Amino acid sequence: MPSHDAPFDYESAVMACARGERYALQSLYERESRWLLGVALRIVRDRQQAEDVVHDGFVQAWQYAGTFDPALGSARGWLYTIVRHRALKAVRHPGRVVSLAPDELARWSDAVQGDAEVEDRGLDAGSLERCLDRLEAPRRACVLHAFVDGFTHEQIAERLATPLGTVKSWIRRSLAALKECLA
Amino acid sequence: MIEFDDAEERDGAAGEYVLGTLGAEDRAAFEAALGRDADLRARVGAWQDRLLPLTGRTSPAEPSPALWRRIEVSVGAVSPAPRRRPAPFPWWNRLRLWQGLGVAGLAASLLMGTLLLRQTVPEPAGARYLAVLQSPNQRATGWVVELQAGRSLRLVPVGDVGSVPAGRAWQFWTKPEGAAGPTSLGLVRAGQTLEVPVQRLPAVGARQLFEITLEPEAGSPTGRPTGPILYVGSTVAL
Repeated sequence: MPSHDAPFDYESAVMACARGERYALQSLYERESRWLLGVALRIVRDRQQAEDVVHDGFVQAWQYAGTFDPALGSARGWLYTIVRHRALKAVRHPGRVVSLAPDELARWSDAVQGDAEVEDRGLDAGSLERCLDRLEAPRRACVLHAFVDGFTHEQIAERLATPLGTVKSWIRRSLAALKECLA
Repeated sequence: MIEFDDAEERDGAAGEYVLGTLGAEDRAAFEAALGRDADLRARVGAWQDRLLPLTGRTSPAEPSPALWRRIEVSVGAVSPAPRRRPAPFPWWNRLRLWQGLGVAGLAASLLMGTLLLRQTVPEPAGARYLAVLQSPNQRATGWVVELQAGRSLRLVPVGDVGSVPAGRAWQFWTKPEGAAGPTSLGLVRAGQTLEVPVQRLPAVGARQLFEITLEPEAGSPTGRPTGPILYVGSTVAL
């Protein structure tokens, strides 16, 4: 088990990947793969496809590690964006049919954070959660469906039985409110 | 259509890009703009970090053991099926037997071998080198570096090197004779042979220094050794 005494240096690990040091990629994988797989699985809802997404994400991270700029943000934020965008790409592929029944969809969407709550991953979730709490419930739901479930504007509108235009403006305004609240 | 001239719109689009709600057309336009727009990249970086804690809302899922192997294969780090290739150093098995001789005996044997070879064979193009890495007090031998010009470098554990302390890493370095500073050759695992293509070495030659230092878990943050030297040695030509 990795020790949590000293914080893991994600930025150095990504920069080591850029130098071709594969153990750096492995240490990132050992740290984050189960969380990344959880994120991908929630979006694509298929175990094999979720593993494909994580695979493609790590290969992409390895190939593009040289483009990571620590001045712009954390390496972990960078890595999660790569994997989330891979997952979104997989589900929005024109050939894919989302065939979940509404109640199944609701079960997925309302699933609470199981182990995620108790395990400390060194993420400062408190501030963001406080700011989310300040949003009205339907607006907060828009942001969470988009980020956690990977829903499109249209899927969120359908799920919340709210006009598409309203959903679009709620998301924009919610993001602006979160930014201001976190500043 | 994203109005890239409008600051508020730029930031909103960056947020939605990270969130994943841009439509296909807007996303394509945004990605195209990212490559040439440093301000947009900075906004994306900020949004990534703002929203990152939301990844804690998902339960983790244990990957299958095959997943890392697949990734390793894809990044070209290992060949799909482990296969033995002819050892570039046929005397290696004999060296293993020498381990019992102790450090002094080993060094003497190597020196003798080197002298004999040098008398009879002119140095070939693919010159071969060997470095025995010992603890700084020379009490323990931990690793042997096998090196051949134009081929690859192998770092082979030969002694009981123990295990890497939790939260730390062993990092492997080289410094050719006369070089200003060492170059990282990557992190090493206890008990594992590390292979490095010689193209990644700044040079290959005799009296080239190799060392392993104790570093933070992800390797030295500075690109130079920051921790104590655990094993060190320099090459002799064979």
